[in-house]
Amino acid sequence: MSNETMALAIIFAFVIGTTIVGMVPGMNKKMSLEEWAVGGRSFGRWLNWFILAGEIYTAFAFLGGSGWAYARGGPTFYILGYGALAYVVGYYVLPAIAPIGRKHGLMTQPDLVEHMYDSKWLGILTACVGVAFLMPYLQLQLTGLGLIIETCSYGIIPRVPAMLIAFTMVAAFVYLSGLKGVASTAVIKDVVMIVAVVFFGLYLPIHFFGSVGGMFEALDAAKPGFLALPGGTKVLDVSWAMSTLVLTSLGFYMWPHFSANSFSAKNPDVLRHNAIYLPLYQICLIFPMLIGFTALMVLSPALKVPDMAFMAIVQQVFPGWALGLVGGAGALACMIPAADLILSTSMLFTRNVYGRTIGQGASHETQARLARVLVLVLTAVALALAIYAPNMLVNLLLTGYSGVTQFFPMIVLGLFWKRATKVAAYSGLIVGEFLVFFLILNKMDPFAIAGLHLNAGFVALVVNFVVFVAVSLATSTPATIERKAKAIG
Amino acid sequence: MNPVKVILTLIPFVWTIGGIPFVNTVKPIVFGLPFLAFWLCCTIPISFVCLSILYKMDSGKNEEE
Repeated sequence: MSNETMALAIIFAFVIGTTIVGMVPGMNKKMSLEEWAVGGRSFGRWLNWFILAGEIYTAFAFLGGSGWAYARGGPTFYILGYGALAYVVGYYVLPAIAPIGRKHGLMTQPDLVEHMYDSKWLGILTACVGVAFLMPYLQLQLTGLGLIIETCSYGIIPRVPAMLIAFTMVAAFVYLSGLKGVASTAVIKDVVMIVAVVFFGLYLPIHFFGSVGGMFEALDAAKPGFLALPGGTKVLDVSWAMSTLVLTSLGFYMWPHFSANSFSAKNPDVLRHNAIYLPLYQICLIFPMLIGFTALMVLSPALKVPDMAFMAIVQQVFPGWALGLVGGAGALACMIPAADLILSTSMLFTRNVYGRTIGQGASHETQARLARVLVLVLTAVALALAIYAPNMLVNLLLTGYSGVTQFFPMIVLGLFWKRATKVAAYSGLIVGEFLVFFLILNKMDPFAIAGLHLNAGFVALVVNFVVFVAVSLATSTPATIERKAKAIG
Repeated sequence: MNPVKVILTLIPFVWTIGGIPFVNTVKPIVFGLPFLAFWLCCTIPISFVCLSILYKMDSGKNEEE
């Protein structure tokens, strides 16, 4: 068999095998919307751990981490820091959400916002913003999957058909499996992916340079300063890294799909327990970077698409079957998070936009049917974005982060501060999102001020926070405080 | 709030975000990693230890509830 047939055959074997495993939990009985979407709230410690870890290590960790190392150098290292910090934030936030969700039958992040502030329209707004910023994240997964198929076919399948294949695979997977399927296949994905990144992350630098340290020594000698901030860029300096770490560690649990997952936990203790062990998983993020740095030293001519660094170096050094194994692991790393994202997005739309406006009184069956149809629509939109507005994976990730982090004051102060009010939530969110759009669309990210280069999302978050607190203090009354205390108590 | 818990919560942030201006160098290479990368990797065990202690402190409280 030729290299490309071999590589593609292995990838499809992975994907089809996983889809079958994903379908099993849902095959015997008809799933209700609650089961399809929050797994019937019955996940124990380890299943919950896997599903959280499963979504964190996505196409971004696999391809984006190596791509950024290849293109930018030092700024990439921010990735090592943010996850572990985010879990500290999550240690406080998630266990506070879970009991409220259980008590009041909440399933999504907008449900929570609507409940905390007693405002239907704030919930609808939250859902719309959430959908808007989940799209770049979903686009990231599809782009990654397209890159993998393109490389593994040795260029025979061009980019656009590769993405169409990716689209079909992802949509079929979500449609058939639901959240339970995503959770059980996340286990397979995690194991395969860890084995692949650790093996290649150590093998490649050792193969070419004798050791990891040797590779870094050689790179430092060839490109002095590339491995510190601002690396291969002009603006991604110390202040950028600090502001980005604040943004990403606070924003991590503001992704709408993470709320759904905390509602799927049995009790708050499960979530606290998870927080302890999740940071350890984070060490796996270093390996794709090692591959990206090795690729920078070894591959010539330079890659046009840095996100292909991982796949390109494996393609050059190893035979087709090895590329197929990496591609298979990578494909799962794109598909499973994509599935989860689509599921959350379709839930947000069905339940919190449609169900609260024109679809009021629609039966559960109608909602469940709409949710499944939306799976196809959303994937198609992300596909169109991936084809017509291609972007480097890390830019997609940071855009999504800048947007969802604007929920932070509203949700976290909403959970812990009784004076937080509805008007403040509206004001902070609108000001924050407006700034994110304005700065990113005007190419003012990072935002230069007083010799610093701050992440645009961070700037928006600071303004959002100040507005939120000021408006809350101005608008809270004994009645709103009492109502709030009841909602979060 | 318990001051020990506040300190445990802040340690990872101070280490990681507060540390960056002081550790933005390539040399010395520690465990094969550029110094900046090594420093940020340390966040991982530090968070693990801080969260483990926090969990121990909190799990006693849960049993009373």
